[in-house]
Amino acid sequence: MNVALPPFKERARAALADRTLKLAIDRTTGTAEAKRAAAVAAFPEFDAARARGRAIKDHVIANLGHYLEMFERNATASGAHVHWAVDDAEARAIVTRLCLDAKAKVVTRSKSMLGEEIGLPHALADAGIERVETDLAEHIIQLAGETPSHIIWPAMHRTREQVAELFNASHQPPPEADDPATMVQSARRVLREKFLGADVGISGANFLVADTGATCTVTNEGNAELTTTPPRVHIVTAGIEKIVPSTAHAMALLRILVRSATGGELTQYTTFHCGPKRPGDADGPEEMHIVLVDNGRTKMLAGEFREMLRCIRCGACMNHCVVYRQIGGHAYGGTYPGPMGSVLTPVLDGLAAARDLPNACTMNGRCAEVCPVGIPIPTLLRAWRRRSWRERLEPGALRAGIGLWAQVAYRPALYRLASRIGVRALRAFGRDGWIGSLPLAGGWTAYRDLPRPSGRTFMEQYRDQQKGRK
Amino acid sequence: MTARDTILNAVLAACPAGDARAVADAAAALLDDPDSSRPPLAAPGLPEAFTLKATALGASVERVANMASVPEAVERYLERHGLAGLSVQPAPALTALDWTGIATHDHIAADEPAALGLALYGIAESGSLVVHSGPDAPILLSFLPLHHIVVLRESTLLPWLEDYAARLEAASVPRNAILITGPSGTTDIEGSYVRGAHGPGFLHIIITGTDDIPE
Repeated sequence: MNVALPPFKERARAALADRTLKLAIDRTTGTAEAKRAAAVAAFPEFDAARARGRAIKDHVIANLGHYLEMFERNATASGAHVHWAVDDAEARAIVTRLCLDAKAKVVTRSKSMLGEEIGLPHALADAGIERVETDLAEHIIQLAGETPSHIIWPAMHRTREQVAELFNASHQPPPEADDPATMVQSARRVLREKFLGADVGISGANFLVADTGATCTVTNEGNAELTTTPPRVHIVTAGIEKIVPSTAHAMALLRILVRSATGGELTQYTTFHCGPKRPGDADGPEEMHIVLVDNGRTKMLAGEFREMLRCIRCGACMNHCVVYRQIGGHAYGGTYPGPMGSVLTPVLDGLAAARDLPNACTMNGRCAEVCPVGIPIPTLLRAWRRRSWRERLEPGALRAGIGLWAQVAYRPALYRLASRIGVRALRAFGRDGWIGSLPLAGGWTAYRDLPRPSGRTFMEQYRDQQKGRK
Repeated sequence: MTARDTILNAVLAACPAGDARAVADAAAALLDDPDSSRPPLAAPGLPEAFTLKATALGASVERVANMASVPEAVERYLERHGLAGLSVQPAPALTALDWTGIATHDHIAADEPAALGLALYGIAESGSLVVHSGPDAPILLSFLPLHHIVVLRESTLLPWLEDYAARLEAASVPRNAILITGPSGTTDIEGSYVRGAHGPGFLHIIITGTDDIPE
């Protein structure tokens, strides 16, 4: 969905220069990191729970066909209609048609990253349907005309002051103060009317439970249930990898999902939606539709990115990523930002368009350390880098430079000579023990200083030390 | 070829189908030894463990002797918060109680100040209440009120999430099965926690003792 964005490097540069953005990112990711650490510390069995979660996801992925058919059978038996979409365009078309068939004027939506992935917001607008985002953060970015910058906190790039400006301009009457509590009350009042007047409610799914045919949503605000209960039609869009064998398996995953995402133990509302309103039910939708979306997932299943299908979308990788915390989510340019997004965006948007993302990684491994289902994100990013090199997607100057370096590196004597010259030459740029600027390396030294080298290479010092031992 | 066939063919080409019996056995084995990967209960007794968790989440909890004591407890709560009127879930266990002195009604307004519901189960591990949709259980009753008061019978307390999952799958699964874990909240503005985002801002749980038998 990155239509006509400037290149990644320009986006990243703009983000780095934005002090307000940095402040906003720090406020939320800092809290998230601390809360997750506390939740994990209070759960001594967390590592065992992670191992179980990983095993459950691997089992489902290895038997995905079996479970998809089981889910379809049981969801259909519950009275839901199951639809299949090969790609984003098909998924958009199905949802739009369902809304038009329902003669929908107003559609409420409960936050779903898959909905963003398939471009649902634009599709509904193009169909002339009023879309009301009900998650507080999604409400904020809808008012701002933006896309999510984080998969758990879509509006984390906005400070409270910026949110207050948006609410003052659009809420009638505007909130009386700009503290979060007053602004949340204002959104509650504004959205309450919308919930009860909607024709269709659209949600995503955190899990699809194969043996009951239920879809599961988790929210803290209660907006999912207010989205899915009053309208006549409930539509679920979900990726095919969201399947779990049973409710008990979902419980095992919930324990690690919520702790990794927000540091809570469970979200305030964990809801299983199983078919439309039953005869005699006090409330609920008359129709339920579930759209199962592939959009690149079977391609991942067949290739070297299969492990990424374990992802349960907790966002811990981005909260702990040194790059994400500097540039925020929008600079990545895809639906999914941060480390997990850098693996997924090349699948969704193509490697040629997203080649910079696997490279915008320091390989410090924090994402893999905190991933609740043990996805080796750095390894997967390296796989994209290798493929990018194989497919000759790097610019010519870069390829030539690396080629030249390789020629030298293949010849140890030459390499040592070059190192000896280099390390002595670098000393000439040192001031007070540090190198603050360097010709041709401004991109590096603009943001950090290098320690002035000792003037002798590692190999020289090692040789002397070995001599001394004799 | 339909989208369904395209997707399932691609899935099966990458991961060929295994024997259904073997898959079911493997899925069951993934749940073996649940104690090894779940947190210990917060206290040895279920009501105590439940109460510790629920109050940590911002809910208030009180324990009364039996179901007959519920109206009195509700009246005290309403008085404490300056509330008049109460929407009562049309569940026989609640409507059969003596509501003299409280103006009760059975509909739920968009801005309902207070509503009383009945939990099907409580889960001690997480301090969660379980509600299921049904003819006498509107889902909106748990979401529209500002003050959500819930009666939880001590005899329905379960230790772990898995214990509830087993009960859910043994019965016929309702349209909605909801785990309510604390009052509604959000951290969407700068990560700071605010209660009462869309759902109830206040959750009050009345645990009724076991001497409410016979029913």
